[in-house]
Amino acid sequence: MLGVASGLLAARGAAASPEDLFGYGARTSAMGATGTAHATGYEAAWHNPALASVVRTPKLTLGYTGGVLRLDAQGDGLPGRISSAPVKGTTIGAEIPVPLGGRFAHRVGLALAFYEPTDVVVRGRVLYPEKTQFPMVDNRAQSVTIRAALGVNVGYGIRVGVGFAALAEVVGTVVAATDATGRVGTRVEDQLVATYAPVLGATYDLPLNGPARWRFGATYRGEQTARFAIVIDGSKLSSLQIPLFNISGLAQYDPAQAAVEVARSEGLGVLAAQVVYKHWGAFPGLLEPTVVCNDGGAGACGLTPPKIDWHDTFVVRVGAEQGFELARGAVARARTGAFYETTPLPSEIPGSEAYDAGVKGVVTVPTRYFDSNRLALTVGAGLALSKPLPPIDLDVFAQYHVLLPRAVTSVDGNGGALSRGESSGHITVIGMTAGVRF
Amino acid sequence: MARQRHAAALLGGVLALAVSLAPRAARANPPDTYGFGSRETAMGNAVAAETRGVAANYYNPAALARSRGLEVSIGYFRANHYLEMNGRDNGVDPVKGINAGLVAPGRLLGIPFAFGLGLHLPDDRISRVRALRQEQPRWELYDNRNQRLYLAANLAIEPFPWLQIGGGLSFMSSTRGQLNISGAANVLQPDESQLRHEVDADLTAIRYPQAGIRIILSEDVALAAVYRGEFQLGLDLGAHLQGDIVGLTTALYDLETHSVNNFLPQQLVFGGSWKLAKNVRGTFDARWINWSAYVSPVARLDVLLDIPPPSGGWPSTITPPQTPAATRIVPLRMHDRIIPHLGVEWRAYGSRRLEGFVRGGYEISKTPIEPQTGLTNYVDRDRHTLSLGLGATARRLAKELPASLSLDVHAAISELIEDTTKKASAADFVGDYSAHGYIVNLGLMLTVAFDGWGAPTKEEP
Repeated sequence: MLGVASGLLAARGAAASPEDLFGYGARTSAMGATGTAHATGYEAAWHNPALASVVRTPKLTLGYTGGVLRLDAQGDGLPGRISSAPVKGTTIGAEIPVPLGGRFAHRVGLALAFYEPTDVVVRGRVLYPEKTQFPMVDNRAQSVTIRAALGVNVGYGIRVGVGFAALAEVVGTVVAATDATGRVGTRVEDQLVATYAPVLGATYDLPLNGPARWRFGATYRGEQTARFAIVIDGSKLSSLQIPLFNISGLAQYDPAQAAVEVARSEGLGVLAAQVVYKHWGAFPGLLEPTVVCNDGGAGACGLTPPKIDWHDTFVVRVGAEQGFELARGAVARARTGAFYETTPLPSEIPGSEAYDAGVKGVVTVPTRYFDSNRLALTVGAGLALSKPLPPIDLDVFAQYHVLLPRAVTSVDGNGGALSRGESSGHITVIGMTAGVRF
Repeated sequence: MARQRHAAALLGGVLALAVSLAPRAARANPPDTYGFGSRETAMGNAVAAETRGVAANYYNPAALARSRGLEVSIGYFRANHYLEMNGRDNGVDPVKGINAGLVAPGRLLGIPFAFGLGLHLPDDRISRVRALRQEQPRWELYDNRNQRLYLAANLAIEPFPWLQIGGGLSFMSSTRGQLNISGAANVLQPDESQLRHEVDADLTAIRYPQAGIRIILSEDVALAAVYRGEFQLGLDLGAHLQGDIVGLTTALYDLETHSVNNFLPQQLVFGGSWKLAKNVRGTFDARWINWSAYVSPVARLDVLLDIPPPSGGWPSTITPPQTPAATRIVPLRMHDRIIPHLGVEWRAYGSRRLEGFVRGGYEISKTPIEPQTGLTNYVDRDRHTLSLGLGATARRLAKELPASLSLDVHAAISELIEDTTKKASAADFVGDYSAHGYIVNLGLMLTVAFDGWGAPTKEEP
C-alpha cells in the first residue's frame, strides 16, 4: 500500500541556524556571542549587516567548529542521557569592500557567511512526541548557514545594513496507483524551494570626545522556517479507501528576533553588552496532522499533535576583548564572555494523542519534550598579522554551555501528570578560523 | 624565487581546501546544457580559454585570476523546450532563473589571487525530484536533470604572468531518511483514521570538484584545460507502516529503497583562444564527457507487505493491495562523447568610454544514449546549437562608480534531429516512436567590474 512512501525519497528537511545557538564566527563566539555593535568582517552577516560597511580589505576565512552535546532527561521511564550527534562543520566567510568612488568611497561593504555541517546539510528529525527529545537544541545544531549582508556608512556616525538568510523547504506529492497492466507504479514530484528571512541592522556611534568610542547597534532577524510538506496519495492503489497522508512538519525553525547592544572600544579593547528578544510564541510546533480530511483538510479530523504554549525568550550577553601588540605587524587578542538564554518550552506541556492497538482506540501519551535555560561561558584568542608579516588572521574559541536543571511535566486533559522529568546537560563547542586578506 | 615559493604555498592552500572539503556526490548542472553567462553562451560555450569574471566560476576557475577588480554580475535566462514524440509536445518544463556571482581579486604575498562565487538559482525551485518508471518515455537529459540549483566557490592564482590556476567546489546534497506511520486507517470512513507520523531524514553534504588551468602563450593565443568531477545524487529511504485497518485486519509495510536520482558524469575540457584579426577572436573547446559511467535513475526497492485477510475474508467490494513486484532495473547504456564547441567574438565598436561586441557560436552534441529498442525509453537525439549575442561595455559613467558596466544578451537555438526509435519486440508496450525538438534559450547579464576608471581591458588573450 505505501509504496507511496517512496515519495519521501525527496522528503528532506531544510536548514536553520546553529548560529542562533552558539553565535557565528570565531571572534564573536569567544565574546559571549555578542557583536551587534562590534562585529567585524564576515561575522557581520549574522550579527549586524550595517557593520559590513566597516570592511576595507577583501578577506577570505576558512574555519572548523566542533562540539559535543550531552543532554539529560532524568525521571521515571526516561532514558537519562540522550543520544545526540556531535556538532562539526566548516565555516567559510568572505568580506569584500565595494569600491565605489566620490562621496560613496569607503562606505559600502559586503559580507558573506556560510557554515556547512560536515556530515549533513540539515537534519530533519521530527519524532513521535512520546520519544524523549530536546527539540530546541539537538537538531537545530545540524544545519547549513547561508547569509549575505550589505552595509552602508551613511555618515553622522550612522551605519545601516540589510541582509538575508537563505533556507530551503520541501513541498511535493507522491501518487501511487495501479496502471493498466495491473502493476503498481509511483509518481513522485517533490521540490526543494528556497525560503529567505530578512536581516536588518543599524549602528550609531555616539559623538563623544575622548579615546573611547561608544557604539549602539540594533538588529532584526526575520522568522526562519523550513517545513517539509509531502502529500502521499495511495487511494488509487486498491479499492481500500486510504486517506491522504500529510507527511508534514517543521524540520528547522528560528524565531523572529531583535537584538540591541552597546559596545565600548578603546585602543585594542572592546566591551559589549547585548539583549536579544526571540518571538518563540509564534512557533507552530514540530508536527502536523497526518490525515488529510475530506472535509476541512489536515487537522480537521483524526489525531492532532500537541499544542504547546511556547514562550517568548530573552538572551543576555556580555563580551570583552583586549589586544596586545606583540611586535610590528603582530597583534594578539584575548577574549571572553558569557550569555544566558531562557527556554521557550513551558514547564507544563500537554500530552499527545496516539492510537493504541491494544485497546483499539485513541489514548493520551506523555509529550516528552525537554529544554532548559542555558548559561554559556566563552573564551578565545586571536592573532592578527599584517605587514611586514603575511596578512593572516587566526582565531580560536571555546564555549561551555550548562543546561540548568529544570522540571518538565506532561499532563493530560484533566491536569493529571503523565510524565515528570528533569532536563539538564552541557554543551562544549570549540572552533578556529584562519583568514587571509588579499 | 620568492614568487615561486609563494605561488607554491598558495597552490598548496587551494589544494588543501579542495582536499579538506573532500568531494562526494551531487547533481546535474543547468550550465552544462544552457551555459552560464550571456557572453559565454553566445560564444557557443567555447570559452575555457576565453572566459572571465563571474562566468569563469563554471567554465574555468583559473580565469578568475584575470579579474583586476571586484566584479558582480546578475542575469536571467529562460530556455523553452519544444520536444515532441510522435508529433505530440511532451510538455518538458522550461529551465529559467537567475545567474549571478562575484569575483573578488587581490594580491596575496605579491601573487594575483581571486575568490569567486557562481550561482544559478531557478525561479520555481532549488531542485526537483521526479521519479518515473523506467518504461515511461522521457527526455532523459532535459526533463528533470536541469531543474536545480548550481552553486560553486572557487579560488585562483596567477603565479606567473603566463599561467593561471584555479579550482573549487560545487555544492549539493543527497537524502537519506526513515519515515514511520502508525495508527489505524479506517477504509470505510477515511476521515476517522487515527494516524500519525515521524520523520528522521538527513540532507547529506555533497561536494564535487572543478579545476582549471589557463596558459597564455602569446598576446594572441591562450590555451586551457578544465576538469569537472562526477557526482551522484543518492536517495536512500526506509518507510515503515504498522497499524490497524479498522474493523478488518492489521497492516505491516516495510520499504527500503536506494536510487541515484541524478548523475553528472565527469568532464574534461581542452580549449583555445586565438586572435584572428585586430578585433576578432576565435575560440574552440573540445569537451569529453564520461557518459559511460551513467547510473540509471531508477529506484531499487525492497518491500515487505503483510495484510492478512480478515477473519471472514475480504468484503466483495474490496480488492486488497498486492506487494509490488521487485523492480528489475534495465541498465541504461551510454557512450562517452566528445563535444566540439566553436565561438567567435568581434569587437565591433571601441572607444575609451564604450565598446560593442557581436558574438556567435556553434556546438554539436551527439546523443550518448544507446537506441532504446527494449523495455526502457530514455529519449534523446543528436543536438545542434547555434548561438548569437551582443554586448556593450560603458565606462566613466559617474564619479561614484569607478567601474565598467557591461550588458550582454544571448539567443541560442538547439535542434534535436528527428529520428525513429524502433522496438525489438512488436509487442512492446510503448512501441516505435519518432522524436525531435527544439530548445530556445534567451538571456541577458549585467556586470559591474570595479576595475578603476575602467580603461579598456588590456589586450591579453
